[in-house]
Formats: sequence, C-alpha cells, structure tokens
Amino acid sequence: MNKITEYFSTDWHALTGTDWIGLIITVSITLLMIGLYIYVFRPKNREALEAHRYIIMKEDDPGGNK
Amino acid sequence: MEGTHEKESYNFEIVQWFSVAAVIYLVVGALLGVIIASQLSWPALNLDIPYLTFGRLRPLHTNAVIFAFGGCTLMGASFYIVQRTCSVRLWSDKLAWFTFIGWNLVIVSAVITLPLGFTQGKEYAELEWPIDIAIALVWVAYAFNFIMTIVKRRNSHIYVANWFFIAMMVMITYLHVVNSLAIPVELFKSYSIFSGVHDAMIQWWYGHNAVGFLLTAGFLGIMYYFVPKQSDRPIYSYRLSVLHFWALVFGYVWIGGHHLLYTALPDWVGSLGAIISIGMIIPSWGGAVNGMMTLSGAWDKLRTDYVLRFLIVSLAFYAMSTFEGPMMSLRTVNSLSHYTDWTIGHVHSGALGWVVMVSTGAIYHMLSRLWNKQIYSARLVNFHFWIHTIGIVIYICAMWVSGIMQGLMWRTYDEYGNLVYTFAESVAAMHPYYVLRTLGGVLVLAGALVMLYNTVMTINKSKAVA
Repeated sequence: MNKITEYFSTDWHALTGTDWIGLIITVSITLLMIGLYIYVFRPKNREALEAHRYIIMKEDDPGGNK
Repeated sequence: MEGTHEKESYNFEIVQWFSVAAVIYLVVGALLGVIIASQLSWPALNLDIPYLTFGRLRPLHTNAVIFAFGGCTLMGASFYIVQRTCSVRLWSDKLAWFTFIGWNLVIVSAVITLPLGFTQGKEYAELEWPIDIAIALVWVAYAFNFIMTIVKRRNSHIYVANWFFIAMMVMITYLHVVNSLAIPVELFKSYSIFSGVHDAMIQWWYGHNAVGFLLTAGFLGIMYYFVPKQSDRPIYSYRLSVLHFWALVFGYVWIGGHHLLYTALPDWVGSLGAIISIGMIIPSWGGAVNGMMTLSGAWDKLRTDYVLRFLIVSLAFYAMSTFEGPMMSLRTVNSLSHYTDWTIGHVHSGALGWVVMVSTGAIYHMLSRLWNKQIYSARLVNFHFWIHTIGIVIYICAMWVSGIMQGLMWRTYDEYGNLVYTFAESVAAMHPYYVLRTLGGVLVLAGALVMLYNTVMTINKSKAVA
C-alpha cells in the first residue's frame, strides 16, 4: 500500500451511526452543490435566472420613492 | 416618530425606529470600544471600579456593536427590504413592535447585567439564561413576522436578499438555542450543559456562525438590495448570487473548528474547519465581485455618491477579511497568529470595514427615503466616510504589527531552548500600537457622532417641512 492509499484507507466497519450520518450528509451536500453549479451555469437557464436581477429596479413604492 | 411618506401601505415607522436606534447604538458601541482600548493603553483608566474594568466592559462593547447596532440595522433593513421586494406591508405591526421593544429591553438588560459581572463566560453569548430566553422569544417573533410577510407576497419570486435574511433567522435561532442550553442554579447564574472540549466546540460552532450568519449572511442581504438601489443598476449577476448563497450557507457551518487548532479538539475537526475555510474564499469573493461589478460601466458614480462609497468600500473590506480569515485558519499561520492582536485586527477589519460600512450606506440610503428628505449634509457623509476609513486603517495596521510582533516574541528561543522574552515584556512592547488603536477608535467614534448629527438634522428638516 503506497502512502496515498494508506492515507485514504478507511475501516468501514468501525464507523458509528453518527459517522454514517455525517458521511451521508457530506456526500449529499457535495452532490447538491455540483447539481447547483450545473443548473446555474447551464446556458438555457441563464435568461430565466438573470431576469430576477430587475425585480428591485421596478418595485412599486407607495411613498413615491425609488 | 411619525412617518412622513404619503401613504401608509408599508410599515416604515418601525424601520425608522430601528434605524435611529442603530445609529445611537453605533455611537455607544464605538464609545465603549474607545474606553476599553484606552484601558489597554493606560490601565489606570480601569479606575479600580469593578463595574468599569476591561473584563466587564469588553463584552458590553461586543454586545453593543454586534447585537444592538448590528441587530437593529438588520431588523430595520430587513423589514424595509421585505416589504418593498414583496410589495406588501409587514404581516403583523404588533409583532414588529414587540420585536423592537423586546430587542431593546434585551439590550438594556445587557447594559445592566454585564457591568455587574453576570456572565456565562461564552464569547458573544455572555448573557445569562433569563435574557437568553428573552432573546430567543424576540428573535423567533422577528423571524416569524418576516417569513409570514414573504408568504403573503405579491411577487412570485423571492428576491435573493430575502434568502440571506431567512438563512440568518433560521441559523441564528438554532445556534443561539443550542449554545445557550444551560442549567440555571440562580436567577443570574447557570452552567452550560456541555463540558470540556465539547463545550468549546459548541461555543465556536456558535461563535463563528454568529459571524457567518448574523454578520455575513444578514449584511449580504443588505448588500444585495442597497448596492443595486443606490447605484440604480441591477446586480451584476443573479446566477452568481444564487451560487454565493448556497455555497455560503452550506459552507459556513463547518468552519468553527478552526478556532480550536492546537487544543484538545481532535486534529481532524480543526483541519476540516481550515479546509472549508479555504474553500469559502470562492463564494465570498464571488459575492464581493458581484457587488462591486454592479458598478461596471458606472464607476464615476463613486466620485459624487458618498453613500455608494460606503457600500462599495465595505465590499473591499469584505473581500479582504474573507481572504485573511482562511489564511489565519491554516495551522502554520495560526500557530503565529492565534491569541495575538492579529485576530483583533482581523475581526475589526470585518466589523468596522464590512459590517459598519455596509450598514452605514444602507442607513444613509434609507434616511432620505423614510423621511422623504435629502440627507441634511452630503459633505458630512463624505467626511464620515473618510474619517471612518482612516480610523479603520490605523486600527487594523496597528493590530497587524502588534499581533505579528507578539507572536514572534512568544516563540523566540535562545540557544538553550529558553524563551527569550517574558510575557510582560511582550505586553510592554505593545504599548505604542495600543495607543494607535485607540486613535483609530477615536476616529471611528467621531465618524459615528457625525452620522448621528446628520441623522438628527435630516429628521428635523423633515419635521420642519411637515
């Protein structure tokens, strides 16, 4: 076993319930973040997302303020 | 405080009260900062009066700045933004008033109990258990009112600034309740239910996320509304703001462990905190660039728009401190910087540079709109900007030099392995830098007083016309 595989070797049987919960949450969040990056940078979503930029530029104001 | 706007569709009166309270608390917080900085420069100023010693006034300073000034700014600005971006009045005026009065009573109770020495001894969470319960009640009332206002909105999309506010409300509730879990033994004495290293880990999970969600996420909500409004240009990239939000909320909760490097905390927890801290540079800088690039093609506005200067320069400080923080979480750097004044300098570049400047920009922006009058003196806003900026630069440079010198003095060994300097010698060497820090604080206080004067005069001008 070289140094890198030794560093990453894991005794899966030793993982407690808490360890598994933490692992699942971490992997899930990572996958969700990857999904988010794909969604945000997908060219066909650009227009729909960027349209929200203008919400506050055209908000109505009962006091007549901008 | 009567609203002077034409119609009463939105509840701006509560925003007016929160805004004025925030300006007053900025003066109080800065004054306390100057007092305790002076005590560190000239210890005789403790006056041998226990209620006025550094140990008791320091938590009062942090509570005044973070929760009184920061809290009032956030509550006022979020109530202003949610109404305007959702095109509806606040869900409940009564709950809004309960929030204002309750929050201010919490602040008053801090002013009484902290100098008397009642404390849980947890940084940024010093207040004793009855006040903790009051904070939780008021905070949940605030969050409920905000979220219910969003529920009854007229627009289909929830603007990104509101996402940041919701994240702040949810996480601060969670953090405050868990970190404050304690067993009361007297009216003003309790003990944490956590012990040893678990207590430390919970405390810094809370402590860093108070920075992450109250002082960052909340004020980013302010930034995402007021930078586009003040510059009259839409935010540079909405997609970047979406990434900024999710990366920030998923990332921040992991990094508290970097406060406990080289302690009894398992190494891997500290390393995890440091790794995620480095990763957080990406969303943080993404957000800072997003705010600054909003001015792309219109940089000339910075010449004439002094309020915009506050907002944009705050982003420069945000970028700077969100780079400095992760660097300080690296073990090699941390071994030098931890427990030194470098940390104090870092915190103040974030607090004075980012939080106070973005808040000041937001409050100046709201002043003229809430009272339907131009700010009394634009020149004073400009003067405030420069005196505040110079004050911060003096402050943080003094603390950088002082901190690095401290760290180096504490780790200097002679050829026999003995420490070269005693601790007292390192304290004596800090004196000139502590005096400089006091000077920086005096300038920040002077700026806050100028802002208070400008605020009062603007309101008076509005009343005179009305």
